[in-house]
Amino acid sequence: MNAPAPYLVLRDFRVWFPKRKGFLEAMRRSEPDFIRAVDGVDMDILKGEIYCLVGESGCGKTTTGKGILRLVEPSGGDVFVGAPAEALASYEEAKGSNREDALEDIRERWSLSYRERVQWSVRDIGILTITCLVGLVLASGIFAGLVAASLVLRVPGADLLAPILAGIVLGAAATLPPARSVSVLPKVAATFAIPSLVLGGLFGAGIAQVAAGSASDLGATAAAYGRILQSNVPLLVLQVLVILGTAWIGASRGVAYWQARRGIESDKIRKLRKVLQIIFQDPYESLNPKHSVFDIVSEPLIVNAITRHPSETKARVRQALNDAGLRPPEDFMYRYPHELSGGQRQRVSIAGALVLDPDFLVADEPVSMLDVSIRTEIIELLLELRKKKGLTYLFITHDLSLAWILADRIGVMYLGKIVEEGPTSQVVKNPRHPYTKALISVVPVPDPDRRHERTILRGERPDPANIPAGCRFHPRCPVAFEKCGWTSDEVLDELRQVAVGEAGVQSSLARAFVDGPLSITLPDGAATEGWIRATVAGRSEQARALKGIRSIEASGAGLRLLLHPLVEPTLTSVADHVKVSCHLFGSSDDARSAS
Amino acid sequence: MTVALLDVRDLKVHYDTREGTVRAVDGVDFSLGEGQSLGLAGESGCGKTTAALAIMGLLPSNGRIAAGSIEYGGYDLAKLTDAQLRAFRWRHISIIFQGAMNALNPVRRIGEQIAEPIILHEKVEREVAMGRVGELLELVGIHRERSREYPHEFSGGMRQRVMIAMALACNPKIVIADEPVTALDVMIQAQILELLERLKRDLKLSMILISHDLSVMAETCDTMAIMYAGKTVETGSVRDVYKRPNHPYTKDLIGAFPDIEGPPHLPAYIPGLLPSLIDPPSGCRFHTRCKYAWQRCIDEEPPLDAVGTGHRSACHLNTSERPS
Repeated sequence: MNAPAPYLVLRDFRVWFPKRKGFLEAMRRSEPDFIRAVDGVDMDILKGEIYCLVGESGCGKTTTGKGILRLVEPSGGDVFVGAPAEALASYEEAKGSNREDALEDIRERWSLSYRERVQWSVRDIGILTITCLVGLVLASGIFAGLVAASLVLRVPGADLLAPILAGIVLGAAATLPPARSVSVLPKVAATFAIPSLVLGGLFGAGIAQVAAGSASDLGATAAAYGRILQSNVPLLVLQVLVILGTAWIGASRGVAYWQARRGIESDKIRKLRKVLQIIFQDPYESLNPKHSVFDIVSEPLIVNAITRHPSETKARVRQALNDAGLRPPEDFMYRYPHELSGGQRQRVSIAGALVLDPDFLVADEPVSMLDVSIRTEIIELLLELRKKKGLTYLFITHDLSLAWILADRIGVMYLGKIVEEGPTSQVVKNPRHPYTKALISVVPVPDPDRRHERTILRGERPDPANIPAGCRFHPRCPVAFEKCGWTSDEVLDELRQVAVGEAGVQSSLARAFVDGPLSITLPDGAATEGWIRATVAGRSEQARALKGIRSIEASGAGLRLLLHPLVEPTLTSVADHVKVSCHLFGSSDDARSAS
Repeated sequence: MTVALLDVRDLKVHYDTREGTVRAVDGVDFSLGEGQSLGLAGESGCGKTTAALAIMGLLPSNGRIAAGSIEYGGYDLAKLTDAQLRAFRWRHISIIFQGAMNALNPVRRIGEQIAEPIILHEKVEREVAMGRVGELLELVGIHRERSREYPHEFSGGMRQRVMIAMALACNPKIVIADEPVTALDVMIQAQILELLERLKRDLKLSMILISHDLSVMAETCDTMAIMYAGKTVETGSVRDVYKRPNHPYTKDLIGAFPDIEGPPHLPAYIPGLLPSLIDPPSGCRFHTRCKYAWQRCIDEEPPLDAVGTGHRSACHLNTSERPS
């Protein structure tokens, strides 16, 4: 192999977000639903290349960028950064031959999205058990102390006060920020320990007093306590709730603590963040208004413990600001974001990314919030940095005309998948996927004489929680045909729409039902058979879902419509370096040219 | 040339702030012909939205029209009181506000929100208004049954359609669209622009389209006014402005757009920043960023003079040679 190994490699990269469900819904269906934001992306980016990811908003381009940096957790697939060619080759080979063990080894060594399988060690279980027990003991201690105090002081109603106070303590504990779970454990302990110490003391004093005053013993005290509980059911219920609640909070805090310990595979992520950095879209929102430029740019150095000495930090910040074109750096270092223009703010963002001297930048719509008159300045800066520092970019944008002037290669994304990828000139001048064609046709051109024919797609992109079967673009595709993945629901809907105005057919279709993903039954369809055959033959160019009907069979008095099987197209190479995921370019035997 | 329906002459709008008087609009001229669409373009902060609000009489409390006239149907809207303006607002001139995502009330059904201006301005019964809401929704391509839904149930593009339906509620003659497609995707952007064009044709509307995106305007407008730092620097037909741009700022602005049909090189940019509107530069306001500027540009303000039929531009280069 003499081709250079790609710098960044994604394989079957996925980011799925679990969908929130109501309690009842969760009880009814046990498997979680996912919003498949990124759903199997393969990508190779060469060193020093600018790869543009374009697509509509919500297609998963930003999530891909964040997933690579693990700003959101990937749900599957692999990310390799700077892996040697041999490792990549053996990865592909192991994948091809299904050698699980070999694959795991390579993934563990090189894949940045690899996570160890979660295993509970004896120590973890021990920590959890102890946290629960501590919670229980402390809660009981507080409670008993309060009850004893009320017994001793003989305050009317004080027995009800006890659980209320315990509840307040619990509430305070529960409001501790879970994000800081590593430091939470001592806080929880303190929250419980101080009151329980005080109240435990009171409890002891109470026992002593009861013992001395009424010449009773410890058993009598317990009996008195028992009588109170028996005669006061709400108090009993509250006590049980308080104790269980405390134990639950203790346990969940413990789990959070444990997860935080587990989650910090910090070495890998920190290493990752030193070579991969991101520039966010909106410099008006991504900069903390209370931090000065110096604070913002120096933060990565400090959290990563890269510089040891303030003078060293300052030198690195100065260099980064200089590289980002904020010259002289001293003029900008101690300003706050509100004192800067939009372009300068974006330069601060860039300086913050540059300060760690990364090799790879994810630029997420870095100019879309800026005025046109200054966009080019920022783009020029990014290009200059590539030349000077050998940076590689994943440039995320919705603006194809920007991709055109900037990118070496373009990947077009639709609903979490790349549908077309290739060198810029190929993708823009000779688009192959119908979606790419439509996207390019609607890019406005700054010339009134060139108002051209636009392909405006119907409707909006589907919900990524409910991705269409087959080719995910087929419901909006202007040239969709038989095998693009029409389902019975879509076909029946289309039939009903076409039948508007035909009373007889409509009533027959109203009784039709879907009896499988690929079959529709019309119970009294015999009478409408003629209409359906004629419609399918004559109207399918406009009502494209009708193309999905493979055969129309009589079954008794009814009619059965069978559909073409669902096939999802794969990203296949169609020309030099151009890959398209469309059935029009699939296996050549049944692909037809676009009409 | 068609007869001007709306004629804005030397409009000045000032805001009083703690730092001083912000001259957000400081001499804007344009006219809108019947059935025409006018593009109002310029960088952010150049006064486009303020000019629109002044026409609607919707300036914030610290803003006032300092000078100039807004002629419409024999009236000068700049001189009318708020109560008098109410008769024009929505029934003659309506506005599609910027940022469809946030301009709708999240806790009211969209049908009621569209009906509100109808009930207020036309003094009709609720039932009559709701019937009209159904028609309006179908006009903008939304099923009429969705009038009972709340804004969060609509996507961004659909909410923009709702805003358009609302602007059309009282059959206005002029619709001002303030950045109607800025926050939307290219595909949705194309859908909305197509809708606006269809409505303009079918309902014989006149339209003012405010945008910073010149390439969007090239595809939709008939005439253009380019604004810089509160002033109109060039106006004319779209073809004149794009094909024979006169003002250096217009040339720079057009040059700043990447063209997907042209060669793949970086567009130019305009160095420097928009000047302060509290203390604007003397003479021509663009002189601080203009590559042709000389002493006269600093001393003397260029007038907006005709450079062709219906094509006017404010630049000293039209009347004198630049000393070399």
